[in-house]
Amino acid sequence: MTIDLDDEDDDLRTILANLRRYDVSHSRARQLRRRCHARLQTEPRTTAAWMVAASPFRGVVIPALGAAWCLTYLFEIIRYSGVISAYFRSQ
Amino acid sequence: MTAMAPDDEQMLVARLRAGNPGAFDEVYDAYRPRIFAFLLRMTRHRTIAEDLLDEVWLRVVRGAPRLLPDTRLGPWLFTVARNLYWSYRRDAVVEESSVPELLTLWPCPRPWPSPFELAAAGELERRVEHALATLSPQYREAVLLVGHEGLTPTEAAMVCGISPEALRQRLSRARAALAQKLRETPAVPTLKRGFAT
Repeated sequence: MTIDLDDEDDDLRTILANLRRYDVSHSRARQLRRRCHARLQTEPRTTAAWMVAASPFRGVVIPALGAAWCLTYLFEIIRYSGVISAYFRSQ
Repeated sequence: MTAMAPDDEQMLVARLRAGNPGAFDEVYDAYRPRIFAFLLRMTRHRTIAEDLLDEVWLRVVRGAPRLLPDTRLGPWLFTVARNLYWSYRRDAVVEESSVPELLTLWPCPRPWPSPFELAAAGELERRVEHALATLSPQYREAVLLVGHEGLTPTEAAMVCGISPEALRQRLSRARAALAQKLRETPAVPTLKRGFAT
């Protein structure tokens, strides 16, 4: 616990931290686990394992490609503007 | 209550997102008792807590594919549990206010001491459980998340959907209220263990 507690709170903090743990019965826990496993089998996966592994790579490459395309587009606009203005100046 | 190493947790989240049953089991075994205890202390009703617990884990299965890689499992699971609790509570209030004649049939705070309190091991623990039960749900959840579950105030604030500063204030007031109620709570009469079910 990261909050500041003065001495008077120490007992309370200890009691709270050590309150009894509760759980459902074993049979209910097993039954719920089975239901969840069955759902896991049928749940559509939007992220395959290879996609999870590749996600940091995609996070870098896709923005980089996008930025490169934008820069090329901007460069071409400037270049064509220069060509057009040079044409009119020469007339 | 021990925190998982961030790298281990990220690996676990990645496996959970991929639908790995082993990863689900690890999370389920580690967090099921904690989530259940939280729901039990919030609802004060074992059957309702069990039903909400079922729904929490089914939502975990549904939501797992959409988890972000850096998701902290503890705060996320408690957020799901807390949202379900408040949703249940809102529904119960609507039902109670719209059908007053059925009010007595709905789960309501038991006259003290409840079987839940009597199940607690010691006198002091019973007093703390009773004092906790009399706190408002907002105070109770703050105390449970930080004081019992060991979440940081920032994580607990995320779970409760408030700012860390607001959570700190709420926690401070809750601790003061809890200490006051503990001072006021008399000793609980000892009953036979057979009633403590």
